[in-house]
Amino acid sequence: MISELGLLFLILVFILSSLSLIELLVKRNFFPIFSFEQKKLSITIFYLTLSSFICLAYSFMNSDFTLNVISKNSNSQLPYIYKFTGVWGNHEGSILLWLLVMTFFGFLFSEKTQAKDNFKNQVLKIQNSLCFLIVSFILFTSNPFEKTFPPPIEGSDLNPLLQDPGLAIHPPFLYLGYVGFSIIYSISIAALSCKQKVPFIKILKPWVFISWIFLTCRIGLGSWWAYYELGWGGFWFWDPVENASLLPWLTATALLHTIVIADKKNLLINWTIILSILTFILSLLGTFLVRSGVLVSVHAFASDHKRGVYILLLLSIICAFGFVKYLKNFNKITNQSQIPLVSREGVISLNNIFMLTLTFTVLLGTIYPLFSSVLFNTKISVGAPFFNSILVPIMFPFVIGMIMGPFVRWGKDDLINIVDRIKILLFSLILISSVIWYLNYKDPVLSIIFIILGSWVILSSIYEIIQSIKINRKLSSIPKKMLAQVFAHIGIGLLIIGSTGSSILKKEKIQFQEIGETIKIKNFDVQFQGVKKIEGPNYISQMGVFKIIDDNNKIVTTLKPEKRFYNSGSQVTTEAAIYSTLLGDLYIAIGDVHKDKIKWTTRIWYNPYTLWIWIGVFFLAMGGTFSFFNSLRRKK
Amino acid sequence: MKPKSKRLLNLSISLTFFSIGCIILLFNLRDNLVFFYSPSEISEKNISSNETVRIGGMVKKQSLRKIIKKVKGRSLEEISFIITDYDEEIEVSYIGILPDLFKEGQGVVVEGVVTSKGRLNAKNVLAKHDENYMPPEIKNIQSIKDNKDDI
Repeated sequence: MISELGLLFLILVFILSSLSLIELLVKRNFFPIFSFEQKKLSITIFYLTLSSFICLAYSFMNSDFTLNVISKNSNSQLPYIYKFTGVWGNHEGSILLWLLVMTFFGFLFSEKTQAKDNFKNQVLKIQNSLCFLIVSFILFTSNPFEKTFPPPIEGSDLNPLLQDPGLAIHPPFLYLGYVGFSIIYSISIAALSCKQKVPFIKILKPWVFISWIFLTCRIGLGSWWAYYELGWGGFWFWDPVENASLLPWLTATALLHTIVIADKKNLLINWTIILSILTFILSLLGTFLVRSGVLVSVHAFASDHKRGVYILLLLSIICAFGFVKYLKNFNKITNQSQIPLVSREGVISLNNIFMLTLTFTVLLGTIYPLFSSVLFNTKISVGAPFFNSILVPIMFPFVIGMIMGPFVRWGKDDLINIVDRIKILLFSLILISSVIWYLNYKDPVLSIIFIILGSWVILSSIYEIIQSIKINRKLSSIPKKMLAQVFAHIGIGLLIIGSTGSSILKKEKIQFQEIGETIKIKNFDVQFQGVKKIEGPNYISQMGVFKIIDDNNKIVTTLKPEKRFYNSGSQVTTEAAIYSTLLGDLYIAIGDVHKDKIKWTTRIWYNPYTLWIWIGVFFLAMGGTFSFFNSLRRKK
Repeated sequence: MKPKSKRLLNLSISLTFFSIGCIILLFNLRDNLVFFYSPSEISEKNISSNETVRIGGMVKKQSLRKIIKKVKGRSLEEISFIITDYDEEIEVSYIGILPDLFKEGQGVVVEGVVTSKGRLNAKNVLAKHDENYMPPEIKNIQSIKDNKDDI
């Protein structure tokens, strides 16, 4: 009953949003009956989708196995929290969540944003049309309310890997990020199609920041989950699915730098629009890659061809619509003017070049295997070495730009003046470089260089704050804009150091460890104490107990990595145990037992500075938040 | 300089840089490709012994062996198993923890270096997040299998 209601709501969304599409495609005076107030339409669509989502969640909570999705992805023994997160732990439900977020952004825009009525109408028209595309995708290829007959007595369980708090909140963040760019797309296209010039940059700004924050958190959460749940000892594998999420992040980062120039100097307006369109298209491309199963990826989930074709169709429609609109209308908003290289806007443009180079590299590495399998019929994969070979040399000029950027003046500046202004900073950079080199001279050269680069970014950001305090004399009077930039840049610095530590400096030991045996790694002794049998709510687990002893012979902690055997579906998961410190993580995963029952395969890693990655992501998100509130405040 | 010729100059400079970048990128890509083969293709082609390749197929039933080895005073467990596409087989040896979803009689993708005829030293055994998922390459092999008797 409830599920039929849910389906009915979805069909209503389909009908209502189709009205927006018709109005978008057909001239208004053609069909006067179709002239609806878009604002009301957006709000109705949102509430209908929300109701439909609640219906699905209700069915999940009550384990209604007559629904196909629930019988395949849930189980009556599942803890309530995972029954609920199971709603988006499958393809159908997650696309419904996508739609919910999309309509929610439309709803927020119609309620909160102040703009001229005809512009607002245009934006919502496009947003609702996008909703139409998604809702038809749901209804025709992935209906969550599809029945199964005969209904099974018990469901086949949620994928155990997804039974984890990190991943439970990961899809909502993912969609808030990805789908947030839909409203940015809508605003940009609307700005192109409006007859008179609209001050759309100011309207666009907060949406860029909020979507960027969610996307950043989402990538952070995803890698954190991969780090402790997969038991592979790493956080980033240059896997196609990870790359797919990185692509829109790179262009979005370029966008949020450009939009600062666009807002302040009224330059690069065209470029802002291109980046907006591109970012949303790359978000869709990410969804396509994940959901269609065209790529061999360790992350790929079971998928179906019909869906892939539909998403590809959707992608081409949105892509074509965006770029046709752009090519037809870009002359209206062009304003010719040169940007001098040595100026704030020049350095920010350089940032864009780096971001786009990275985007292009990652895109090439991700979709090249696809082309090669279609064109040459050879199956290949592009691994980490390719991405690293581009990323490593590009980092150097990138970091120099990041350090200089904030000290370069708007308009026009010259190099000698800049150097004169930051001579103390330059001196301290040289000082810290030699200290770092002296302390780590035994490590690989590349790792030392990268750690120095990371520390440069952090140090110069701190110097910037000190300078600002000197001038303003008060902590509270530091401009929010600067605070945002400083936080985000420190975040990048921490990320550079963290990822260097956990890739180049990582130490790994795999062995057959006897009970009572001690393995030495870095300055820790890892003593294996035995294995306990633990019973969880819906699994049985073998829990290894390891005593960690540091060089002063003090017991630091006890680590308990697990291997879990789930009752239904016969799946097994590895739960790594991690001891985190600022200097590095001790990471243990346990494997199988040997025939003699006293030896176990254990895999022990020492990952330096890994904690800094998560702190870095937090700093990035903080930076984004400052920018977001700043852009809200300035609008009033 | 006239504005028009200045623009032309700017354009040509950026185009040059762009194409140099593209060339570097493509050369890098070519050097870092990892090819995906089935066990039959491995035996057909001569693959030089230092090349990293990926191999996909089914893990042959009852082929999983675990041997204890001593390396530098630590005992290591070497895992070996046979990957088959129901025509040819290749023996894989691997030191490490097998992914959670690894099972005999199921699909697997391994990455490693071919050492001699029909042997591979695996660096990675790739897990799937989802037990129902099959990479397309293996799916094709599976359909061949459906027409053949179980081995």
